[in-house]
Amino acid sequence: MRKTTHSCFLLIILLIRMVPSLSSTVNYTDPTLEPVVTENSVIRQKIIDSQFKCYERMNRAPPYKKKGLFCNRTWDGWLCWDDTPAGRITAQNCPDYFPDFDPTERASKYCDETGNWFRHPESNRTWSNYTLCNSFTSEKLKMAFILYYMAIVGHALSITSLLISLAIFFYFKSLSCQRITLHKNLFFSYVLNSMFTIAHLIAVVPNPSLVKRDPVSCKVLQFFHQYMLGCNYFWMLCEGIYLHTLIVVAVFAEEQRLHWYYLLGWGFPLVPASIHAIARARYFNDNCWMSVETHLLYIVHGPVMAALLVNFFFLLNIVRVLVTKLRDTHRAESNMYMKAVRATLILVPLLGIQFVIIPWRPENRLAGEIYDYIMHILMHYQGLLVATIFCFFNGEVQGALKRQWTQYKTQWGQRRREHCSTRSTSYTATSITEVPVYLYHHDSNNEQLNGRYVEDSELVALKSGETSA
Amino acid sequence: AHHFITATACQEADYGWMIQHYCLKQFQLSMEGIGQRLWCDWDETMGTYGELTNCTALIAERLDCYWPNRLVDEFFVAIHRQYFRNCSPSGRALHDPPNSVLCPFILLPILVTLLMTALVVWRSKRSEGIV
Repeated sequence: MRKTTHSCFLLIILLIRMVPSLSSTVNYTDPTLEPVVTENSVIRQKIIDSQFKCYERMNRAPPYKKKGLFCNRTWDGWLCWDDTPAGRITAQNCPDYFPDFDPTERASKYCDETGNWFRHPESNRTWSNYTLCNSFTSEKLKMAFILYYMAIVGHALSITSLLISLAIFFYFKSLSCQRITLHKNLFFSYVLNSMFTIAHLIAVVPNPSLVKRDPVSCKVLQFFHQYMLGCNYFWMLCEGIYLHTLIVVAVFAEEQRLHWYYLLGWGFPLVPASIHAIARARYFNDNCWMSVETHLLYIVHGPVMAALLVNFFFLLNIVRVLVTKLRDTHRAESNMYMKAVRATLILVPLLGIQFVIIPWRPENRLAGEIYDYIMHILMHYQGLLVATIFCFFNGEVQGALKRQWTQYKTQWGQRRREHCSTRSTSYTATSITEVPVYLYHHDSNNEQLNGRYVEDSELVALKSGETSA
Repeated sequence: AHHFITATACQEADYGWMIQHYCLKQFQLSMEGIGQRLWCDWDETMGTYGELTNCTALIAERLDCYWPNRLVDEFFVAIHRQYFRNCSPSGRALHDPPNSVLCPFILLPILVTLLMTALVVWRSKRSEGIV
């Protein structure tokens, strides 16, 4: 996941860099180190540091052993170059000293056939080619902005759809059961996560002066951001554990105690977030903790990936049980359970796939752009996806909404007529439709099946199915 | 020397002499002032090292040489051999802690996660039938 956020934050950091607070007035053909001007002191510090590392490396690396002419290892003022055989072009990634240098581009240096480094024909000085480092800057800046606004829109849409879903779940009491309670908590954690992300994107990312000042508040924001990320994935895990307990472990458990789920969903993510904060403050205390170049991010993302994996295995186990054990005895019920699991089974890989494919960003420019767009959609539109799959596509929710709508229509139509007699008929009409609802709605929400409406014979049969599972 | 035949006024020998006598002397005094024990402490030596770099660059400008060049490379390699031979090459940039520290930091939350998950599964299994 480090590289998950890598591409996202690389673009965001590229964005920070592009904000023209520091212009690249340095002529890249002439990397002189001028007496320090305050704004450039950070840059100069980086360059001096690189220089130190370079000469250390030149000292410690073994001497050139191959035969033939070669160019000596050298420091060209910005980057370190190793011994290179004659007639070869050597390349490495551009440095990140300047705002308009893109560290994913390559800088190159040519060692000519006589064993000397290439000299620029105009100035006759040894010259490295840094032209690619800042040549595509404007396109990248444009794309970074597009992705930035896409992220903000994604989170805003997610918040909206999640709040609507929460309103639906709270308003329709007929829907409420334990699984819906878990959904409500999951949606709430997504809302909070989106809010923190928007706050971060709006307040911190486009604000280099804030990042330079490095107040404690932006680190606290980052801490809560990591915490909410953990909460998201751990609530998904709670959903998976709940389904697993319901179907595989203790079929028809009437009411599970949800305290442990609350603990795992809200309380436990504090642990990785706190450990990350402590480790970051101690070992990698960069400004606002924005850098993604550190393995310390795995402190949060490792447990998240573990939770996703565990969740995935639970769901596969559920599917296995449903397919093998229950299909023989009760096809209808197992189909119903399968539909309950289907939603979660779709979501877990979708949420997890970003962790899997992030490391493989394509080299090709066009493919890389497409990849960036897809990853951004996967990462920032998750709330919308969760709300849609768990709420808007849920058959029971749709049924409840339809019933409410017909109720409003009849009430509105009857407003012109008498009240008393028509009101009682509309009540009985809704109560009649309440009872057999489990027979018609074969989708996700199946808790009403638990012992309340199922007949005894089916209960016995399913329990025997459980013991052999 | 053949590099500079067609060059302007840059005299390699002069440049070499000047950086040895001006920049190096200054650097030696500063480093002795810091004390040999602290030579590897990058926080202490960074300023002096930066000044040395500046000095070589200024003299290059004065003598119409371009900076950096082969002499600068040799000069600094010698400096490093003399002063920084036993130091870690990492410099001052932010870097991850060594693996012996990093791995426990990463593995511990993962283990705790798995334990916690097992705990929740176990507890929810035991609470069946309780209303």
